[in-house]
Amino acid sequence: MQAGLSTKNAPSPSVVLPHYAVGAIFFLTASVLLFFTSGDLANSYIGPKVLSVTHILVLGWITLIIFGALYQLIPVVMEVKLFSEVLAHISLYTLMIGTVLLSYSFWNNYIGETIFMQAGGTLILVSVILFVVNTLFSALKTKQRTYENAFIISSVFWLLLTVLLGIFITLNLVFNFVPKSNIDLLPVHFHIGITGWFMMLVAGVASTLLPMFFIAHKLNKKLLKISFYLTNIGLIAISLNLYFGKNTVITIISAFILLGGIILFVKYNYDAYKKRLRKKLDMGMKLSVLAFVLLFLSVVFGIFSALKLDILSDFSTRIKSLYGISLILGFLTSIILGQMYKTLPFIVWLKLYQDKVGKFKIPMPAHLYNEKTANLHYYSFIIAFITIFIGILLKEKLLIEISAVFFIITAGLFTFNTFKILFHKEKTEPLK
Amino acid sequence: MLDTEKLSVTEKSILERIKTVIDPEVEVNIVDLGLIYEVHHYEEEKRIHIVMTLSARGCPVGDTIIQHVETVVKAFLPDYETEVELTWEPQWTPEMITPEGKAFLNM
Repeated sequence: MQAGLSTKNAPSPSVVLPHYAVGAIFFLTASVLLFFTSGDLANSYIGPKVLSVTHILVLGWITLIIFGALYQLIPVVMEVKLFSEVLAHISLYTLMIGTVLLSYSFWNNYIGETIFMQAGGTLILVSVILFVVNTLFSALKTKQRTYENAFIISSVFWLLLTVLLGIFITLNLVFNFVPKSNIDLLPVHFHIGITGWFMMLVAGVASTLLPMFFIAHKLNKKLLKISFYLTNIGLIAISLNLYFGKNTVITIISAFILLGGIILFVKYNYDAYKKRLRKKLDMGMKLSVLAFVLLFLSVVFGIFSALKLDILSDFSTRIKSLYGISLILGFLTSIILGQMYKTLPFIVWLKLYQDKVGKFKIPMPAHLYNEKTANLHYYSFIIAFITIFIGILLKEKLLIEISAVFFIITAGLFTFNTFKILFHKEKTEPLK
Repeated sequence: MLDTEKLSVTEKSILERIKTVIDPEVEVNIVDLGLIYEVHHYEEEKRIHIVMTLSARGCPVGDTIIQHVETVVKAFLPDYETEVELTWEPQWTPEMITPEGKAFLNM
């Protein structure tokens, strides 16, 4: 093994690959259930079915695929071995079953003192703790002290806090530990989950991978450093303020600190995009660029949501719904769709062809999936997002149903390509 | 950067073989990408020594590219010991891309 070369630290593909398969199935399931949630979603962001679909998306689709991707990424970029492959397997199955039980409970409005809700929540907590232990024990050994890695490590702490708070909210309904309603506590749960876990993770992973895929050099690392501090300080301030009193001035100041952090991280990646070597974007990068456009939309609605302008008071529920939708079904879904194409084909390709390069004629990683299928779901995703956006804005159930159909098409085609890559059969031809 | 004018005939032939190794991300061969820093052919020791870099640390296909270089050189000169050395000094930059590589990438 050569100094500084870390690919051989990557865990066995059997740890990583099932995450992509299960995640794609959850995305398809959530898209189907979205169709039957359209009436609720047109009016509120907090109904039982909406909560069910939201948790399938954030846990089964986004978090589960991120878990798998991080098991591959942390060893490769941090140049360390994964602490335990066994823990990774257990974490996958507990998260999978926990998500099913939890979303089943939400769907049927069995919140609080039910065996499904408690078992589901416990399994998710176990899964997250195993993931946190596994990734932190691996990551903390790294000698690569970069702000990209700091973002990833801090996101793992925020994830743990998100789940602990989620469990606390559920138990508080039964045991009344603190005199707070779940309506008061849910925004804290939402913000640390979305910003602390997802946003910081994406900041770390995207700032590592996108410049690598763009082959962009001489980027200003100071942007990432300041972004890291602003994002964390802003989030701590927002969470404490939401919990203790919702002071409007503090909300606005902390929202702008957080916004400053996000802008700097986006600027860093935009610089990488501008300096990219290969001008033509492949599907993975097209979806990733689209994700940043959708992030901008989320930020706009996040600001509207924080400002609570009187002029917009009639739209308060819709603004919050659009904020959540543009983050979960927009930004995060788009970046996961895109990064699947940048990671999974390479993992499968390495597994099958690593020992055959130069000896046989072999396909390239991009040949492992169907390009036309990827193109189709790129456009169906855009249509789905625009339709749900307008549907919620107009409180129009039919538009949300049409959107769900396009999300089903997107998820179906994406799942097809995921499984096409996963079940790719080795193809070698003799060299001429 | 590699000065091809200073290479022997055998070293130039080795470089031509290495040109068959393509970076799967940008789909440009690694010689035109400027990843090969040195090529040495030691006839008396029956040894080939190549010094190369990668476009980024943590490159997911780094091992495979290095292995590919070893494979094509061994296939060309099977009686020689082939050593591929990875270095991060000097750090690779896009300025190291050859005019051919730049033309392919529309730079």
